[in-house]
Amino acid sequence: MTEMPIILPAIPEIFLAICGMGLMMVGVFASKERASSLVSILSILVLIVTIFLVVMMNKGEALAFNGLFVTDHFAVYMKLLVLIGSTVALIMSDGFVKRENMDRFEFPILIVFACVGMMMMVSANDLISLYIGLELQSLSLYVLAAMQRDNLRSTEAGLKYFVLGALSSGLLLYGCSMIYGFAGTTSFTTLAAELGGHDGHGSVGVVVGIVFLCAGLAFKISAVPFHMWAPDVYEGAPTPVTAFFAVAPKVAAIALFLRVLMEPFGGLVDEWRQVIIAISIASMLLGAFAAIAQTNIKRLMAYSSIGHVGYALVGIAAGTEAGVRGVLLYMTIYLVMTVGTFACILCMRRNGQMVENIDDLSGLSKTHPKIALALMIFMFSLAGVPPLAGFFGKLYVFLAAIEAELFTLAIIGVLSSVVGSFYYLRIIKIMYFDDERDAFDMPVGRSLSAIMTITSVATVLFFIILTPVLDGASLAAASLFSG
Amino acid sequence: MIIQGLAFYLFAFVAVAAGVMVISSRNPVHSVLFLILAFFNAAGLFVLMGAEFLAMILVIVYVGAVAVLFLFVVMMLDINYVEMREGVLQYLPIGALIGIVLLAELAVIGGSWVVLPLSEAASAMPTPPIDQVTNTNALGRLVYTHYIYLFQAAGLILLVAMIGAIVLTLRDREGVRRQRISDQVDRKVADTIEIVKVVPGSGV
Amino acid sequence: MVEFLGIYVYPTLWTVFYIACIVGPLLGSVAYLTLAERKVIGWMQYRKGPNVVGPFGLLQPMADGLKLLLKETIIPSGANRIMFVAAPMVTFVLSLIAWAVIPFDSGLVLADINVGILYLFAISSLGVYGIIMAGWSSNSKYAFLGALRSAAQMVSYEVSMGFVIITVLLYVGSLNLSAIVEAQSGGFWNWHFFGLLFPMFVVFFISTLAETNRAPFDLPEAEAELVSGYNVEYSSMTFAMFFLGEYANMILMCGMTSLLFLGGWMSPFDFVPFTWVPGPIWFAVKIAFCLFVFLWIRATFPRYRYDQLMRLGWKVFLPLSLLWVVLIAGYVVYGGKAVGA
Repeated sequence: MTEMPIILPAIPEIFLAICGMGLMMVGVFASKERASSLVSILSILVLIVTIFLVVMMNKGEALAFNGLFVTDHFAVYMKLLVLIGSTVALIMSDGFVKRENMDRFEFPILIVFACVGMMMMVSANDLISLYIGLELQSLSLYVLAAMQRDNLRSTEAGLKYFVLGALSSGLLLYGCSMIYGFAGTTSFTTLAAELGGHDGHGSVGVVVGIVFLCAGLAFKISAVPFHMWAPDVYEGAPTPVTAFFAVAPKVAAIALFLRVLMEPFGGLVDEWRQVIIAISIASMLLGAFAAIAQTNIKRLMAYSSIGHVGYALVGIAAGTEAGVRGVLLYMTIYLVMTVGTFACILCMRRNGQMVENIDDLSGLSKTHPKIALALMIFMFSLAGVPPLAGFFGKLYVFLAAIEAELFTLAIIGVLSSVVGSFYYLRIIKIMYFDDERDAFDMPVGRSLSAIMTITSVATVLFFIILTPVLDGASLAAASLFSG
Repeated sequence: MIIQGLAFYLFAFVAVAAGVMVISSRNPVHSVLFLILAFFNAAGLFVLMGAEFLAMILVIVYVGAVAVLFLFVVMMLDINYVEMREGVLQYLPIGALIGIVLLAELAVIGGSWVVLPLSEAASAMPTPPIDQVTNTNALGRLVYTHYIYLFQAAGLILLVAMIGAIVLTLRDREGVRRQRISDQVDRKVADTIEIVKVVPGSGV
Repeated sequence: MVEFLGIYVYPTLWTVFYIACIVGPLLGSVAYLTLAERKVIGWMQYRKGPNVVGPFGLLQPMADGLKLLLKETIIPSGANRIMFVAAPMVTFVLSLIAWAVIPFDSGLVLADINVGILYLFAISSLGVYGIIMAGWSSNSKYAFLGALRSAAQMVSYEVSMGFVIITVLLYVGSLNLSAIVEAQSGGFWNWHFFGLLFPMFVVFFISTLAETNRAPFDLPEAEAELVSGYNVEYSSMTFAMFFLGEYANMILMCGMTSLLFLGGWMSPFDFVPFTWVPGPIWFAVKIAFCLFVFLWIRATFPRYRYDQLMRLGWKVFLPLSLLWVVLIAGYVVYGGKAVGA
């Protein structure tokens, strides 16, 4: 008999995958009326249990499956973000799914499988496991985007996402094969050992491979110039799915970006830094300027997320431990703000129909003062107004960039965030100073109002929990540089 | 060794020629058939390399299952292919340009090919020599032990693909009467057949 | 020159001779299988069957063959000529080349390759091409419908056949057909038919019926609705090739069943006088028995409905064979039967 490979560090993933399959059986054999809500509740429970498992496995760096899988503080931190984001997205989708004829038990199951994929991405320690995790996640997301299959825009979103996603996977694979061809290994550990000793001068092939790899990953985080799918997909996909897209996959892809660039190719920082800086500047500027003309709030959020990815990339471009810490903090805050904003968007419903135009928010402060207040908080925070959470995110990222002497990048970042604040403030102006319209449907549901309350309080009072979050982020960032 | 050499060139030539025919033949059914020919020749090349397991799997999976479905779909499509091909010339310059750029890049990279020093050791795979175990055995050891994680994860991806296909296409039609085998088996003679003695001439 | 002869020419000639030794008797058996079919079904239905040409109708296959050979080959004007002619050839050739790896006795095999069972499975999975090409190139609705039915059916049943083969090769620990037969030596109680693999034998046998488009799975050529399905436009030798190919495939499938489950060339008892009978005879007897069951089933059962056929394949056989793969794998690892670890 051959030896069992070490699987203990991967217990959360294994648990989640097995539960996903079990839930499918539950969905198939439960009665038709109950299947969807039952599976939905069970999936939320499973995700929460997985969160605890992830925390329990937080014991420093450990390899599993012959070095294909790694878990360390960084992985744990990112997995927690991913899992919390997915859980909240699933909770938020509850009412929407029932109203909009998406009442199918496969919906939560696909989210569960997407989570498995994202956790695998975060824990990838090999180019192959990177790709496999990415595909598992992407495939689930394509289906989720097209979930409202009788809705033309939803199917269009799914198809568009699928075609462009496949293209980006192709780019990524091409890059991986280049790297493998020149370095002779796919393992991150070996790659780091090989490339680290080269004083930052890899062979051309490896560098070209890294560029392709970055292009593929940039697609997944919708950074410019690979952003064109994001507005259409955000607009077309069902709103809870958009919320999920905006949160979890983005965090996972950023995690993957960080791990790939810092661990195996950390030695080649001078080679890939220019690429990241270019992507970052383009994303920040496009996010700031293109969002001004938008009338649909979901499209606006898409451009906003493109801009935020640009800010996160500033931290990556720094290539230092402080930079990584900034990115981690940024993603945490981004998660909280985005979840809250989408909770507000999910409240936008008139006569049983979802409305998505920014004009529909007009005079919200008079009809629904609480929702308006929450949305105002999120908008201020997204714009980066101190002392709200969004400010700290930007602060630490820009500080890291300045420490790494990337002054141009930091200045462009600050300027573009000034431009960007225009459209955030416009929403606030529409809510508070424009004529009021018909009221939204009430009640919004307990889960939505709870999420809005918690996230808005967290956004306002973020400076209180800043220290523990920052400690966690520092620990995670350090683990990326220890190896 | 002459035979092996001849066989190699035969298989390789036919595979490439069939590949060209796949994209150039006017009838899509012929394209699929040429694709199958290409698969066969690839299987032949595998056999020449001593990888008979892979050769057989290639034939079973690609020719025996995947290409059959291709053929199925292509035969039932009703598309005017001449019309579809009209656009090709229009996009040819752009496509050719991209192709040339990529080729140039490959040439540049190929010119500066430097294999990293450690990669020799890294690429030495943990496979035992071919004369000690069959390649089925060697492949099984790698896939099921060393790469079990990727193997299982790939399985999950296929599962998700299957769920996706079902979610996006399956529709429960109203008013379909399904066969219920258990009901059929449960039927008793006494429930369905009544034996009536009919006196001749009196009717039922 | 002598060297050239020794290395290349003589082995080639020998191989050709061996091939002739296999193909000749095979084609003879096919001819007489058609007669046997008509006779057996006749007896089962209280008829006599063919009894006019020759004693007991023994020359009937010759007469049929001659008739087909002398008829005119008609190619429909709307047909795709090349594929129309190629389709029967594909069917016929595929039914013959599979025999290259069938062992008739210990060491008596044309090509004793490592992955024999996979080769057989690959060849049998290619059989669908002849049919689908014939159906498409005929440019006829009936033929096309028959071909589609046939292709869907064969692909569906191949899946469970594949899993059955996996259980056997897990149990034996080899993909080599001779090794699979050797593992069943020492009396009939060691055959795979008896024991853990029995349910797989049932699944396999029924799947071979579906794979060869035989009753009760003969929907592709259902004469009532499709006027004989994919080969409706074929005549004379092209038709004869389909016919020969189909029956040769039946024999091949029965041969596979015998090799996998009924001990191949092994005698049922491991002592005299049974061991005096040569292996190929035992093998032939087993194949003949399986063929008889094929005919018996055709005379007994009505045709399946298409949805029932698909249900049986996907919802009964596939889960069952999958379950058995797990069971056998568990038995191999924990039942003390571990091989080549």
